[in-house]
Amino acid sequence: MNKQIKNITATIVFALVLAALSLACFLKPETAFSASERRPLAEKPPLSSESVFSGEYMTEFEEYTVDQFPFRETLRSIKALFSTKVFGKADNNGIFTADGHISKIEYPQNDEMLKLAADRFKFLYDTYMKDKDMNVYLSIVPDKNYFLAEKNGYLSLDYKKFIEDFKESVPYMQYIDIIPLLSLDDYYFTDSHWRQENITDIAQHLAKEMGIELPSEYTVNTLENPFHGVYLGQSALPKKPDTIKYLTSETLDDYTVTYYDNGLPEIRDMYDMEKAAGKDPYEMFLSGTSPLITIENPNAANDKDLILFRDSFGSSIAPLLASGYKKITVVDIRYMQSAFLGNFIEFDNQDVLFLYSTTLLNNSTALR
Amino acid sequence: MVFSSIPFLYYFLPVVLFLYFLAPRQLKNSVLLLSSLFFYAWGEPRYVFLMLLTVGLGYVFGLLIEKFHGKRISKLFLALSVISSLSFLGYFKYADFFIQNFNAATGLSVPLLKLTLPIGISFYTFQILSYTVDVYRGTAKAQRNPINLATYIALFPQLIAGPIVRYTDIESQLTKRTHSFEKTAYGIRRFIIGLSKKVLLANTLGELGEFFMNSGEKSVFFYWLFVASYMFQIYFDFSGYSDMAIGLGKLFGFDFMENFNYPFISSSITEFWRRWHISLGSWFRDYVYIPLGGNRVNRARLFFNIFVVWFLTGFWHGAEWNFILWGLYFGILLTLEKFFLKDFLAKHKVFGHIYLLFFAAVSFAIFSGENLSQSISNIGGMFGFGDIPIVSAEFFYCLRNYGIILIIAGVSATPLLRNILTRFENNNKRSTVINALEIPVLLILLIVSTAYLADGSFNPFLYFRF
Repeated sequence: MNKQIKNITATIVFALVLAALSLACFLKPETAFSASERRPLAEKPPLSSESVFSGEYMTEFEEYTVDQFPFRETLRSIKALFSTKVFGKADNNGIFTADGHISKIEYPQNDEMLKLAADRFKFLYDTYMKDKDMNVYLSIVPDKNYFLAEKNGYLSLDYKKFIEDFKESVPYMQYIDIIPLLSLDDYYFTDSHWRQENITDIAQHLAKEMGIELPSEYTVNTLENPFHGVYLGQSALPKKPDTIKYLTSETLDDYTVTYYDNGLPEIRDMYDMEKAAGKDPYEMFLSGTSPLITIENPNAANDKDLILFRDSFGSSIAPLLASGYKKITVVDIRYMQSAFLGNFIEFDNQDVLFLYSTTLLNNSTALR
Repeated sequence: MVFSSIPFLYYFLPVVLFLYFLAPRQLKNSVLLLSSLFFYAWGEPRYVFLMLLTVGLGYVFGLLIEKFHGKRISKLFLALSVISSLSFLGYFKYADFFIQNFNAATGLSVPLLKLTLPIGISFYTFQILSYTVDVYRGTAKAQRNPINLATYIALFPQLIAGPIVRYTDIESQLTKRTHSFEKTAYGIRRFIIGLSKKVLLANTLGELGEFFMNSGEKSVFFYWLFVASYMFQIYFDFSGYSDMAIGLGKLFGFDFMENFNYPFISSSITEFWRRWHISLGSWFRDYVYIPLGGNRVNRARLFFNIFVVWFLTGFWHGAEWNFILWGLYFGILLTLEKFFLKDFLAKHKVFGHIYLLFFAAVSFAIFSGENLSQSISNIGGMFGFGDIPIVSAEFFYCLRNYGIILIIAGVSATPLLRNILTRFENNNKRSTVINALEIPVLLILLIVSTAYLADGSFNPFLYFRF
């Protein structure tokens, strides 16, 4: 190619590309939500002299231009592919793929976060349980990196140390070990959570350790819509979505499930089919983020109650545990203040189970 | 505003280019000046007035120095110009450093000013100084058009991270400059290469640095990996900015001086500084070292001159003792080379390369610290002090995660690719292929760099200290 022709071509091509992308930036309608990243996208900031002179407007405008950039989803995939395939990076923004799973590096152990969680639990114990005749249990759910990270050369928590450290900080709790019953297959390929259909043995083991027998017969149901797990969107890599299965039985069908989302009781289904079709189908289990839920089981073989302190892993196992109790109260102290719990729950002689994942304990700032 | 950002690339730049090429010749500088003020105000809305004041003083002093050329009062105006420019720099950049050291020495507790450093103040102060000094020396004419002088100082392509453009280098271009497809195409190529160096290489290596800084599992090898990565990060970040500046300059018809020339292929520190931040090195040579007498002085005075230049070079990079140490470290090495090592290094090139890389690595360990104690800790870590293991799991993971990019960075820091392309261009058949591939390759680099920015990837701005 003649040099002059090349120069003219380069000038025209890049002028067109710049003009086209610039026009697209100015004219593209705003997108409110990123389904793949499960987060609201930045909107154009309001203009004011204060925000301009403080620099806040510029910072927010830059966030807006990044979030609203045309073809952003495609560009995120290009970045992920370039980063991993060309630069050979093992992870992209901490997300990695191994053994057919997508996961996120959870590293290193954050002792401050473990202490924060232990302090929260101690407050709950001292305030509501210490002077009562209550059995208090702890079980820790390892994130799927337990089965994935170290084996594939990724940075990994020392899970044995992590669990021992945490157990030592809550000596008033009886620890129930569920790790021997877990395997990588019990987790979704594209999400952080475990599969409800694979954890019936975990529920039985927990119940047994607390002196309860659980039924083992369930009907497995499959959601029709695909489940794009949280890591799938974050990875921005092309991968097949998961399928969600959920369990039903005659016992489960008879539950009365009461949600206290705004402090007032509201009876709703245990499996939220509206959320099953929404942006995060895993939220179908006990409607996802709910501070306080009670599940009453009229068919229970005993009069025992359980209080379950939990994170999102608890959403899918709580319905299974409920089949062994007359009533279980499911509490998520990420969404309600521990200090106000006494207004809603009468702590008496219930069994108490703290069921938390390593991910939550290692990032426990949300516990209130 | 920074070049490697969506607002710059797809909002600011297209609008400015459109207005610039639409404007008649006599208004082009006004378009550039207003754009540059907007560009600066985007990051420093309050300090844009400080910059204008500095420019205004430079303008007035320039005229006065010229008017009284050859008379003693001219020297007074030059002194006033130097003092006023350096006072602003001293106040905003160095006041807290002096207060801290004063407090430490006296036990007093004078409150710190905690001023935000105006971005680019070290660059534009040096440009104004070069202007008034050159007018005093008679090597430049005072600029009578304030818009032209303000355009020179505030010109956004070189405003926040250099190169330090001399007034004499672009004096004529401020009024007469040409635009051509050749210049534009070169500017585009240079800009995209610079953008890719910054976004793809420097920022990715910066992730390793960030990980290292937050690591609780440092080891000797991890320190060395960090320092190697940091060395390349700074090189690709800074030379990437210079490439973008030179490229943007070409788009607007200016020819800026080169600022980097593959410094890591040097075989001595002397050669390294001829290839690294060339505009700063030559500025100190012409406006500090030579006025102090340069080489043509007795040995004691020469040591003093070298000490002053490298103390100031270090101090220019940041108001911390580690930067002063960094400058003096180079001053000592350059002195040793000047008097003892020059011939040996010239004869033993392989040794020279190893020697350069080793001492450059140590220099970057000093430079990477937030303060002197962190710099010393970094050097200690490289040599196994502080009861740290030789290797750690984090080192191996980072080696795996960043190994390929470190190799790419290492190769890209040499002229290997450029030499191959030059050889191909001299061959008719291959030259056709190279020419045909150039535009698609640049397009891919632009898209991938944009993809990194749209993903919100790690994108630090390293020049807030300058």
